[in-house]
Amino acid sequence: MNLLEWILLFGLIVCAAAAPLCKRLLVTVIVYMAYSLLMALVWSILQSPDLAITEAAVGAGITSILFFLTLKKIHALKGTDDG
Amino acid sequence: MAEKPVKKNWRQRLTAWVDGEREFKDRSLFVMEQRSSVTFRRPTEEEHERREKHRLRWFLNRYPIGAGLLGLTLVAVLMAVVLTMPPFGQPDNPMHNEVAQRYLERGYEETGAENIVTAMILNYRGFDTLGESCVLFLAVAAVMILVLQDKKNTNKQDLAQRAREDTLLKSHQDTILKQAARILVPVLFLFAIYMLLNGERSPGGGFSGGTVLGAGLILSSLAFGAGRVQALLTRRVYSAVRTFGLLLYAGLYGVNIFLGANGLPNYLTGMTMLIDLAVGLVVACTIYGFFALFSRGEL
Repeated sequence: MNLLEWILLFGLIVCAAAAPLCKRLLVTVIVYMAYSLLMALVWSILQSPDLAITEAAVGAGITSILFFLTLKKIHALKGTDDG
Repeated sequence: MAEKPVKKNWRQRLTAWVDGEREFKDRSLFVMEQRSSVTFRRPTEEEHERREKHRLRWFLNRYPIGAGLLGLTLVAVLMAVVLTMPPFGQPDNPMHNEVAQRYLERGYEETGAENIVTAMILNYRGFDTLGESCVLFLAVAAVMILVLQDKKNTNKQDLAQRAREDTLLKSHQDTILKQAARILVPVLFLFAIYMLLNGERSPGGGFSGGTVLGAGLILSSLAFGAGRVQALLTRRVYSAVRTFGLLLYAGLYGVNIFLGANGLPNYLTGMTMLIDLAVGLVVACTIYGFFALFSRGEL
């Protein structure tokens, strides 16, 4: 394991621990996005580019958009017009 | 019990029961009912509040402990499972058996796909993928049934509200989002089409390509307004594309199974690409459909 892998794995653990501890739901979703991106990098290091692409597209892209939509619908986005 | 009912055989009893004959009332229950109840005083408002507060504090004091214990138990179970797993990356692990070897050695000549993952997902395990595509199709159908707002179930008020929101959005367009989307959307579409058409040679394929295509649709719909995408992808076109993808997949895979599901003849080696395309269409439609239905309630 080289340095990059250590950094990525440490970042994964930090993101996974930080996601449920954040006070604001918006921040939680963004941290979760960061987790997905790190996971995509880890997949590509583990030589599975198919999974890496899917993880980046689904985990970081689509899931977060759907989460943001839900937060907007329930008016949980603080600091925006929805209040 | 003094006065026992006359014993009947089971048939008579059954007839009586079906006819609705009342059973003899149990005296002991009767006695219980007759007992004078203890005078029950309703708690006053203050007392009630104090009691509730006490209960809440009791709960909140113990909740972190309970949650922590539960979490630690789960961690312990998972750790125990991980410890019993075979070591990572060893050649004599149980997963390195003849199945993987066969896929790796003969995957190309049997399916015509150089990317083994695509060969496995769309050919060897194509039936599973067909089921997954059906699940996505049905999911969109269910969401449509639940939240779709069309002429039949909206009144004038909702329509006016939606029009007001649209004009509000149009007057508050985000410049950063728009400029970024102008650069990103073509790249996204190009990448998605590349992944869909080249899925049998390079990483990617139906699912990832379709997801990227759906993401591109969502981004363009967010940045340039819903009307842009709707002009291209009306509800009829959307439904047609979705259904066409699933039917294409079902038809092609049916042909594949009919031909023996193994060792395709030369003139059919391009089939994996078409199946990739069909899966991609279904996935892209699903993702864009979820977004559009949940955000605006219409397609």
